Amino acid sequence: MDLFLNRVFDGLSNGATYALIALALVMIFKATTLINFAQGEFAMIGAFIVLVLATERGVPMWIAVILAMIIAGLGAAGIERTLIRPFDPADHLPLVIITLGLFLAINAIAGIVWRFDPRRFPELFPSGNALTIGSATLTWYTVGVVCTTLITASLLTLLLNKTKIGLAFRAVSSNLESSELVGVRVGPTLQFGWAIAAAVGALGAAVFVANPVLQLEPTIMIRVLIFAVSAAALGGLDSLWGAIIGGVAIGMVQSIVVPYTPIPNELALATAVIVLLLVLIFKPAGLLGTAAVERV
Amino acid sequence: MANTPRFTIVEGSPQQLAYKWVGIALFSLFLLLIAFAYNDTGSLTLLGNDYTISTPRLTKAIAFIICILGLQVVAGFTGQLSLGQGFFFGTGAYLSAWLVADHNWSWFATLLVVVPACFVLGMIVGIPALRIKGLYLALVTLGLAAIFPSLVQLEGLKPYTNGAGGKQVSSDLKAPDWLPLDGIAAIFQKIPLLGQYFGDGDLSSKESDRVWIFFLMVVLAVICFKLVSNLVNSRPGRALRAIRDNETSAAVTGMNLSLYKTLSFGLASALGGVGGIVYVAELGIASPGDFTQLISIYFIVGLVVGGVGTLSGAVIGGLVITFVPDWASSTQELPVVPERWLSGPTGPLIMGVLLIVLTFVLPGGVVAGTRKLKAKIVRIVPRTPDGDIAEIVDVDELLGDDAENELAAPSV
Amino acid sequence: MSEDTTQNPTPAQAVLHVADLKGGYGQIQVLHGLDFYVNDGEIVVILGANGAGKTTTLRAISGMIATSGTVDLRGESIQGSKAPDIVRKGVAHVPQGRGTLNELSVEDNLRVGAFIRKDNEVDADMERWFDVYPVLRERRNQRAGSLSGGEQQMLAVSRALMSRPDLLLLDEPSLGLAPLIVKDLFDRFAEINKETGMTMLVVEQNAQLALAIADRGYVIESGEIAFDGPAAELLSDDKIRKSYLGV
Repeated sequence: MDLFLNRVFDGLSNGATYALIALALVMIFKATTLINFAQGEFAMIGAFIVLVLATERGVPMWIAVILAMIIAGLGAAGIERTLIRPFDPADHLPLVIITLGLFLAINAIAGIVWRFDPRRFPELFPSGNALTIGSATLTWYTVGVVCTTLITASLLTLLLNKTKIGLAFRAVSSNLESSELVGVRVGPTLQFGWAIAAAVGALGAAVFVANPVLQLEPTIMIRVLIFAVSAAALGGLDSLWGAIIGGVAIGMVQSIVVPYTPIPNELALATAVIVLLLVLIFKPAGLLGTAAVERV
Repeated sequence: MANTPRFTIVEGSPQQLAYKWVGIALFSLFLLLIAFAYNDTGSLTLLGNDYTISTPRLTKAIAFIICILGLQVVAGFTGQLSLGQGFFFGTGAYLSAWLVADHNWSWFATLLVVVPACFVLGMIVGIPALRIKGLYLALVTLGLAAIFPSLVQLEGLKPYTNGAGGKQVSSDLKAPDWLPLDGIAAIFQKIPLLGQYFGDGDLSSKESDRVWIFFLMVVLAVICFKLVSNLVNSRPGRALRAIRDNETSAAVTGMNLSLYKTLSFGLASALGGVGGIVYVAELGIASPGDFTQLISIYFIVGLVVGGVGTLSGAVIGGLVITFVPDWASSTQELPVVPERWLSGPTGPLIMGVLLIVLTFVLPGGVVAGTRKLKAKIVRIVPRTPDGDIAEIVDVDELLGDDAENELAAPSV
Repeated sequence: MSEDTTQNPTPAQAVLHVADLKGGYGQIQVLHGLDFYVNDGEIVVILGANGAGKTTTLRAISGMIATSGTVDLRGESIQGSKAPDIVRKGVAHVPQGRGTLNELSVEDNLRVGAFIRKDNEVDADMERWFDVYPVLRERRNQRAGSLSGGEQQMLAVSRALMSRPDLLLLDEPSLGLAPLIVKDLFDRFAEINKETGMTMLVVEQNAQLALAIADRGYVIESGEIAFDGPAAELLSDDKIRKSYLGV
């Protein structure tokens, strides 16, 4: 029982980080039905910025995280303006190719600048246990990650539902032409979406590598991206809260289902792919998705 | 087309036949020269860097070319990208290595297992993703590509795959004695001025095996191209392309669009498997690190460089993704560029930048670019029933034969 | 008759003045030089067969396609401006098919309509249009995609009016709606026009209905103006009735 509880807690902390990256994916998918395959790499750069600010410049950790989110957001806004906006948003092929190019290039640049040796990441949450039940322990890290994710999703919901730019963003997501016809400038609105997504992703990477058992290196987000993609698809690719539910579900599958079945540990990533396939077979719109899924 | 070509050739005329066969002959001669030249030259030194040149790299390029040909089929018939060609590439490589090393199969017999296996695997994965419009195929296949290395390193599969160490296999592809490879080498060596690039004296047995494998694989690749181009030009192939993005017309014509899309994805996966056979036949080892999502994305680079939907673009793409990363990692010093930028992952960086830049400046890929150039010199026109020269358009293929075996560039 | 249109003097008070308007999609030119005008407070209707260029005309005015020629709004050129800028200058466009933002609530659809406004009377305006179309008030928190076709058309018109435009462009408001609902819809357009003086340019296939509420009408044929005149005249002209109004 205690072991089971421990696994639930593990699943929560993993799932919550997947949820953050999934949130980032969903922000861009909502607006453009595009998946940014470089989202994980944007996030990884964000985590490195946190590391550099905190360890080399002595900036307090959470200030460093916020600065990194801002820098990642500005960077993504610049990338949107120069590399994404020139293309027709309805034609996915060139856009997907661009994001794949970004994936390769950003990962390589991180490798060149920071090399591939893993680095310790400073603590973001207090160490130690918040709660001990028998031999099961709920660490402050898990509490911190779950809270961060819930707060982020709530703030995003507020941003989209209560602000004017949020309204414009939802309008563009819903109907591009009608939005233009009421005076919404589509380009800057999508740019806003890219910036928010990158900021949330940077936060996600930072809390992920703040896990005491992990270290930061340039390839760390590649696996996370796959988990996050499954999480986003499970939740419905255009639903913020769906991404949260999907993330936690994927985290739970990884840490609960895998140990109790004959599935070998190394195949945790494969379970994410299988979940993705099952979603596509049985519920292509996902749990909370609203977008109509077109069949061919 | 506003410009008039220098030569106009009527389709089916003796000139066209001659043009076609001269093209094929020149191409074959070119391959021969390359193979023999590469066989001998160990390396090339440029600006203080050593660049290895060898026939095995060319054979590796053939493996990549066949994989990219598969991606052309997916992109052309489904309008989507597969980010998981590396999965099928790896499956083909491991299956083939296992059959040859542990069961003493001959290399080409493994085709009989690899092709159906990858075809069925592809279908299974493709069915759920291809039923739905959108990016789902890319999502699913990216996941596949990412799990392959951990899959072959599973405890349960270690007896067959040899885990992290990689599956070694020695080649049974020996150059037959009746082939006068030494004689050919001797002829090349006598060419004035250029002879020195073809080495001295007879080939070692290893060298002749390499040349032999290279040509076997060229033949295999040509067969793959021919099959795909016939399929693309077949009646169902043309119909499928015509209605690819239009469900209404698909419904009207009564075609089961998702079935055909799934079949074409199966075919693409089978081609990935064939690429894997070629790869492991040349390299002699299948190791998990060679089949990560990186190679899958490299295949996309190859697809884009040659031109999405252009079959012959696969050749250019395969060569680029073989040699550019290779040269990038061989380049240890360049004037101006800091050393740090050369010793890191320069290959992936160039590939990423190439993807982005090409999408901007040459969306049709290299082939579309050269075609425009070529159309200014030679144009082959179809013969009309009354014998007049019809106005138009087509430009032929790299291998010199028929003109229209291209998949139109798709949109998702 | 087409000479008549070109010789029409442009009244000084014209809200919209269009001259030699050309435009189309990519290589295909649809409009071959249109001349027309809309005066303050008028309802003007553009009639024509399918494919004559009616929708394209509205899209050309509101900056959704590339154009050449003159498009002046109250004497100021808007030709070549982008759609979001033209909205800011006072043109509201209800697109064909209503352009409902399905995933947003009815209320949010209206708030989007007021996107360009910076004043604080948005809520008051919303109540005003709720008074005109009470059914929208009842459904204000419902997803707009769940409304009926007629309700969506009401929403689309209210959304456009939320920007407080000088000129309202309506593209086939009757499309896909039951005759009774269409009749009611057009009566309401006439009321709004009478009460607020809103200038309207309506593109319509249902000529009878549109001319009944319009002041003047133009008939487009293959991207050119074929006839024009006061609505009553067009309605009573036998030749036009037969060949264009399908009566």
